[in-house]
Amino acid sequence: MDIKKVNEQENTLEIKNLVIHYISDDEVVKAVNGVNITIKAGKTLGLVGETGAGKTTTALSILNLVPEPQGKILSGEVLLEGRSVFSMNPLELEEVRGDKVAMIFQDPMTSLNPVHTVGAQIAESIAIHRKVSKQEALKQAKEMLELVGIPGERANEYPYQFSGGMKQRVVIAIALACSPDLLIADEPTTALDVTIQAQVLKLINELRQKYHMSMLMITHDLGIVAEVCDEVSIAYAGRIIEHGNLEDIFDHMRHPYTKGLFDALPDIEARRSELKPIKGLMPDPTNLPTGCPFHPRCDYAMEICSQSLPQTKWISETHCVECHLYNDTNESRL
Amino acid sequence: MFKFVVKRLFAMIPIILAVTFVVFTIMYFTPGDPTNVILGNEWSETASAQLKAELGLDQSFIMQFFHYVKNLVQGNFGMSYITRAPVGDQLLARFPNTLIVVAGAMVFCVGVGVPIGIYSGVKPYSLFSNVTMVAGLLGVSLPIFWLGLLLILLFSVQLGWLPSSGLDSFASLILPSLALGSNYMANVMRTTRSSMLEVIRQDYIRTAKAKGVNERNVVLKHALQNAMMPTITVIGMNIGALLGGVVLTETVFSIPGTGRLLVESINKRDTPTVLGCLVIMAVCVAISNLVVDIIYAYIDPRIKAQYGGGKG
Amino acid sequence: MDETVKKYTTRKEFFKQYKKKSRLQETWNRFLRNKTAVLGLFIFVFIMVVAAAAPLIANYDDEAIKINVPARLKGPSAEHIFDTDEMGRDILARIVHGAQISLVVGFSAVALALFIGGAFGAIAGYYGGKTDEIIMRCMDVFLCLPDVLLALAIVAAFGTNLVNMTVAIGLSFTPKFSRVVRSAVMTVRGIEYVEAARAIGSTNAHIITNHVLINCFGPIVVQVTLYVASAILTISALSFIGLGIQAPIPEWGNMLASGRAYMRDHAYIVVAPGLAIFVTILSLNLLGDGLRDALDPRLK
Repeated sequence: MDIKKVNEQENTLEIKNLVIHYISDDEVVKAVNGVNITIKAGKTLGLVGETGAGKTTTALSILNLVPEPQGKILSGEVLLEGRSVFSMNPLELEEVRGDKVAMIFQDPMTSLNPVHTVGAQIAESIAIHRKVSKQEALKQAKEMLELVGIPGERANEYPYQFSGGMKQRVVIAIALACSPDLLIADEPTTALDVTIQAQVLKLINELRQKYHMSMLMITHDLGIVAEVCDEVSIAYAGRIIEHGNLEDIFDHMRHPYTKGLFDALPDIEARRSELKPIKGLMPDPTNLPTGCPFHPRCDYAMEICSQSLPQTKWISETHCVECHLYNDTNESRL
Repeated sequence: MFKFVVKRLFAMIPIILAVTFVVFTIMYFTPGDPTNVILGNEWSETASAQLKAELGLDQSFIMQFFHYVKNLVQGNFGMSYITRAPVGDQLLARFPNTLIVVAGAMVFCVGVGVPIGIYSGVKPYSLFSNVTMVAGLLGVSLPIFWLGLLLILLFSVQLGWLPSSGLDSFASLILPSLALGSNYMANVMRTTRSSMLEVIRQDYIRTAKAKGVNERNVVLKHALQNAMMPTITVIGMNIGALLGGVVLTETVFSIPGTGRLLVESINKRDTPTVLGCLVIMAVCVAISNLVVDIIYAYIDPRIKAQYGGGKG
Repeated sequence: MDETVKKYTTRKEFFKQYKKKSRLQETWNRFLRNKTAVLGLFIFVFIMVVAAAAPLIANYDDEAIKINVPARLKGPSAEHIFDTDEMGRDILARIVHGAQISLVVGFSAVALALFIGGAFGAIAGYYGGKTDEIIMRCMDVFLCLPDVLLALAIVAAFGTNLVNMTVAIGLSFTPKFSRVVRSAVMTVRGIEYVEAARAIGSTNAHIITNHVLINCFGPIVVQVTLYVASAILTISALSFIGLGIQAPIPEWGNMLASGRAYMRDHAYIVVAPGLAIFVTILSLNLLGDGLRDALDPRLK
């Protein structure tokens, strides 16, 4: 029982047992090591994890944009509405990108082409997928700008004339230009000022609901997850170690790592209490520990943890975990 | 944009003036008495003094420079010591040949170097890319004059396909262009390749791909314009080097151009002609620098805005 | 009080030394992994050894200088593996001795350029502002003149001997070195240990020589390597057009010039000296590129 039961509801995205390594002359970076993700139509999945957990690589694989030639997809499948992304030819991929699936990138400062106007950059996507004239595409681009809260006449300006928050709005406008079925947001607020973060997040959420998009929200911020997500997958060292709906994860967490994440959050009610960071560091992806990759940092580690990788264990219809603690029980042992 | 160009044109004047000053100063210190060169066997104390007064050589350094610049502004490069003809006429006769050779080399260098550089930057792990990299490394190390001689040996002596000297037909332009351009072509190619490699890794290229832009347009519309900046810098710097190299090319292929004139005049100690050749070449470099700046501003909106020209 | 300051500087120095050494080691290891760069180094060391051992390989006066008309242009033989030239001199002997001149003039010219250009560049980069503006504008003027032409002008004015040529090439490279040193200085200027040195009252001259220049070492070494190649090329170019080193002194460029007339029937006479220039420059370029990659791994 390692793959989730087939649901009657249509799945926008299914990632099955994805393994991606970056192979160079000197080393092999094991970025993604068997990820399973499912997003149902209209739902939002939060993918949570530390830097280096393989979140971005997973996201890029959905568009088949894993950096070549180092990035090697060793096994697994990505299905978009049932169609396998890896078996698409270049033309089919171009049709999917930007139209069916769009992506908001982490760093708005570098995500826009410095030599084209923002209007042209938004219009490009529309012109490719909607097969409209340049003027019409530009007109729609201006509407998109208005939609993300930027005056349409600024379409003729260049990225350097925009602030970071504004640039991220432009990136969002590009992503939403063709109202995709699936929106991938890769830490869309990390590079922004705290004050801007909330605005941008709100904007993404509103637009998502308006267009009934499914969304993959990649973040390391559990607050964002609580605000926008329906389900959560916790990633660690290129694996999904726990998955469930908001209630499963926030109130009935099972994995020691998930618990660690919550313990590391500041508690506003108990200001005096110390933060409890998870001991140790994320393992080196070129040299992952044997067995459960979390065991060297785990307070609950047992002998078996260093020997074998735990299987996916379903706690309930919606909630699963990969941890040896639950080999013989569904009750929380934390 | 027009204002920017005019402003830059005016900014060129002091630079050209300063270069003229430098060259004039160097040549002023040429040891020996120029009247010896001019009068030859007819040299006498009085004739020399008379000639010096006639040519203004008895005046102070500053006055001589002042006169030179005054004449220069009127398009007068002075009189040759040897032919006693205006230097300007000689330059006018010789300079077009130099321009043709430089233009030929430029076309070769940009027309071949840029496309190869782009392609090998886009496909950095291909066999083609590796081959061009090696060729580029060899190319930047090739001395112009040696390559010229080898080309003559191969295409004129062995195969008899192309003329080895002169500049009277298109065929006779091919070898000089190759000889002069190869070195810089390799340079341009290497620069384009590495800047393409750099640009293709940028986030905005990923953004473009994620929009569904096809491979061709990702390169042509998104990467190229950004990748061209360093290439244009190198091309701009190469124009100066090409004008230096043209002296060698004209020597190898016996082309009657400014470079050849310069060398001949140095040998004959014909200072006004030497000066004229150097000044005109320096002006060329200054103009090409200006052109490069304009192209920059055209490509990069940030630079355009900085100069207050254009929109935004 | 005085003593504590002193102690602090030595400790600081101590740590800096420590850090530098490991960085140097790392750079060297990166360099060794680059096969083409090691090849370049190998070839260049070989050329230097040959140049140094030139008198052992061939007698200068007897084989490289003495005219021996009966032996002229006989074709390659066991005695003259690269043939003899139009005066009957052994081409290999001339190339080997020519290497000495090229290397000596090349390195001296670059040393001169580095010394003068480096001083101006360091001052401009360190002080910034008006000083920088004035120095760099002056250097820009020189940059308007292609360096071959500037060197030509100097040689034309002062005559063609070894010293003049070295000076001419050195001066023509000066603006380039001032730029390199200036930008290197500007990047390290703001770094903390320079600030720290300033804070403890080191004089500007002391800071420039002991802190700033030492840390600009990397980029400067790269440029020196590449410009030595350039200088060697310029020497032979000037000699080729007859305004550099004059016959009968063996120099690669003037060998090409004098051999030109005979090349139709005796290819060796131009192929061999040119090959010497080409291989020398190639090795320096490989070495320079390798050093640059090793010093700045980001660029790879």
